[in-house]
Amino acid sequence: MSNALPGSSPADRAAPSKPVLTPALILRNGGAALIFVTLLIGAHVLQTTPGYGASAALSLLIGAALGVAFERGRFCFFCIFRDVIEHRNAGPLYAILTALAVSGIGYAIVFGAFLPNPFSGRLAPDAHIGPVSLALVAAGLLFGVGMALSGACISGHLYRLGEGSGYAPLALIGALIGFGLGFRTWNWLYVTVIADAPVIWLPHWLGYGGALLLHLAVLSVLGFALLRYVSPLPPRPARQLDIKYLYEALFRDRWNPLVTGAIVGVIGVVAYLRVEPLGVTAQLGSLARTVMHTSGMLPARLNGLDSFAGCATQVVQTITDNGWLIGGLALGAFGAALIAGRFQPALPRANGSVAALVGGVLMGWGAMTALGCTVGTLLSGIAAFALSGWVFGAAVFAGVWGGIVLRLHRWT
Amino acid sequence: MQRKSPTESEDLVDRTLLRTAGAAVGGALVMLAVVALIFFVRQPASTLSTTAPSAADASSAPVTVNLPREPRKFEDVVVSTEWLAQNLDNPKVRVIEVSVVPGVYERGHIPGAVNFVWTTDFVDTVSRDIIAPDRFQELARAAGINNDTTIVLYGDNDNWFAAWGAWVFRQYGAEDVRLLDGSRSKWEAENRELSTRAPTYPPGNFTVRQRSDLRVFLPDVLKVVRGEEQKVLVDIRSPDEFSGKIFAPEGFQELAVRAGHIPGAVNVPWKKALNDDGTFKSVEELRKLYAEAGVDGSKPVITYCRIGERASHTWFVLSEILGYQAALYDGSWTEYGNSVGVPIANPAGTIWGVK
Repeated sequence: MSNALPGSSPADRAAPSKPVLTPALILRNGGAALIFVTLLIGAHVLQTTPGYGASAALSLLIGAALGVAFERGRFCFFCIFRDVIEHRNAGPLYAILTALAVSGIGYAIVFGAFLPNPFSGRLAPDAHIGPVSLALVAAGLLFGVGMALSGACISGHLYRLGEGSGYAPLALIGALIGFGLGFRTWNWLYVTVIADAPVIWLPHWLGYGGALLLHLAVLSVLGFALLRYVSPLPPRPARQLDIKYLYEALFRDRWNPLVTGAIVGVIGVVAYLRVEPLGVTAQLGSLARTVMHTSGMLPARLNGLDSFAGCATQVVQTITDNGWLIGGLALGAFGAALIAGRFQPALPRANGSVAALVGGVLMGWGAMTALGCTVGTLLSGIAAFALSGWVFGAAVFAGVWGGIVLRLHRWT
Repeated sequence: MQRKSPTESEDLVDRTLLRTAGAAVGGALVMLAVVALIFFVRQPASTLSTTAPSAADASSAPVTVNLPREPRKFEDVVVSTEWLAQNLDNPKVRVIEVSVVPGVYERGHIPGAVNFVWTTDFVDTVSRDIIAPDRFQELARAAGINNDTTIVLYGDNDNWFAAWGAWVFRQYGAEDVRLLDGSRSKWEAENRELSTRAPTYPPGNFTVRQRSDLRVFLPDVLKVVRGEEQKVLVDIRSPDEFSGKIFAPEGFQELAVRAGHIPGAVNVPWKKALNDDGTFKSVEELRKLYAEAGVDGSKPVITYCRIGERASHTWFVLSEILGYQAALYDGSWTEYGNSVGVPIANPAGTIWGVK
């Protein structure tokens, strides 16, 4: 792994830069074009289908945008955390910090319209503001360990699916099983620790302006503190801004973390404004819940679960907006990976398969118990000024750290 | 100019970095202090109470018995999307959205519409009751409502909870309360304008005058069951709930220990009052629909459902559109079916969920 910012080292670059039209290149770019056209047509069809409409269409496109941004910018929580922990390189982490800063500003603006008075005792509608409990910490820790074991978080596996990873399907199946276990342990955890846990939303106390100032201050402190762990950028030759440069910057080279972060932040705000907060586990959890419901393995009553905002699960027979979003995410990442020549399908090894599956189970349990994963609870939670987001984020980071110290990530 | 050695320059960079980081930390601490100061100076005004209102609060509003008013024309209780679009700037008209799904209002509402959340703005948050009169008066005034304001309610789910809102408004003395025909979905289907901006209005002077004839309680219902009073009970739930085959539709948490219905009640599911596109049927069709079930307005009507909300839709049809003397039993089946010592009808023969 290079010690520099992604996109700045030759190791991160794929595909020869000479635009020679080889059959492989035509196949790749043609395939990518086909995918993006399919996504657009799919969005149009969804928009005109009764029962789906604009929110489903928009979810598909938001997912696709997120897939492209995740793939092009390597917005993989595990890789980013590992770079900090293992390689002492905080460069990629700035993508997360930027995403949080940008989406925090956007959320504050949207909140002002959605809930003009933050002191009313009410929470902003469906924002991912969860209870802060020991269960949340445990969920974060296990989620982090699961990330280390399986080599990525759930959103990471979704975009790796588009890169042809053989471990991603296993980890996602594991996550479904984990969700099932989460439903089984929910009632006990709810009564023991979650029911009485405080739901802490900073704007309740500080208002939107105060919460945003505090939010940006914390991110700035983190940003300044981590500057010493950022490797120097290699010199870049002066270049003419032409088509070739644009093509390479967009489709071949890794995006700069700051750019990736800003784009992810904007997508998060758009998603909250128009559909629902970003999250990638609601459809997975609903699938697990529906399967268990049908087979009678679901507890007859999940106490209080549906009263919390988060990556809410439900017994469904259809594809929800969230389902379109994760479908768009995988396809968008697939298209982006094809153009960049990063679509490298690989069969999983036996040891790694077990690790991916077990890691997936841990992540599924964690995401169910925490009411979301690194996207739903960490990203959308912190952006919404929820303390639960920060607590989950810290616990996940600690879990990844532990996993790396135990060398769990060597399995996959 | 003399060049510094590499190590010196690195040192310099490091020190500058440290100084910047130090300044940032210092700045953050100062800001934290400011924020803490704001926090302590400003008492967060929590408006969601966690204790039940005392009896004194509840009785503070004058209670008046109003005779059923003259039947109004259909257009004066149900407004079309077109009428509403033309009256959005009319200062005499206040539009209120009551939607069940969180975020629906916020992501786009009829321009100028005020949001009322049914779980906090129409019901008491602690005791099982409608919102206390003084608090409701406060909310209505904050929405810029006067006693002569034309209040137009709409929402998702075919105006289900908008009708509940209409009932609460009428119950607390509002005279001109209307529903949007076809609810939110018709407005959306016609691609009409939506806004995400929360409006603010100068406070109104709405004063609660509590009516006593639009709401009934368990003892009133029992009088009808025992034949002491001649009234018609309308059960608006599904035929399977009415017969006692099922306790409640799938997914609903609030249940009764017994299944079935109140003896003597007739069953007209609430959605029968609507066309397929969610608009109300014509007055003649509605009159016929209920007359066929034995509800023709000759006797006072009591509507009920499972928790009291859906029945307010049928209450709206009978009382406001048809002008019958109708009241809502908001205790509904979750109170009646759980009560000890009251007679019930259970044609399906379900006892404890066992045949």
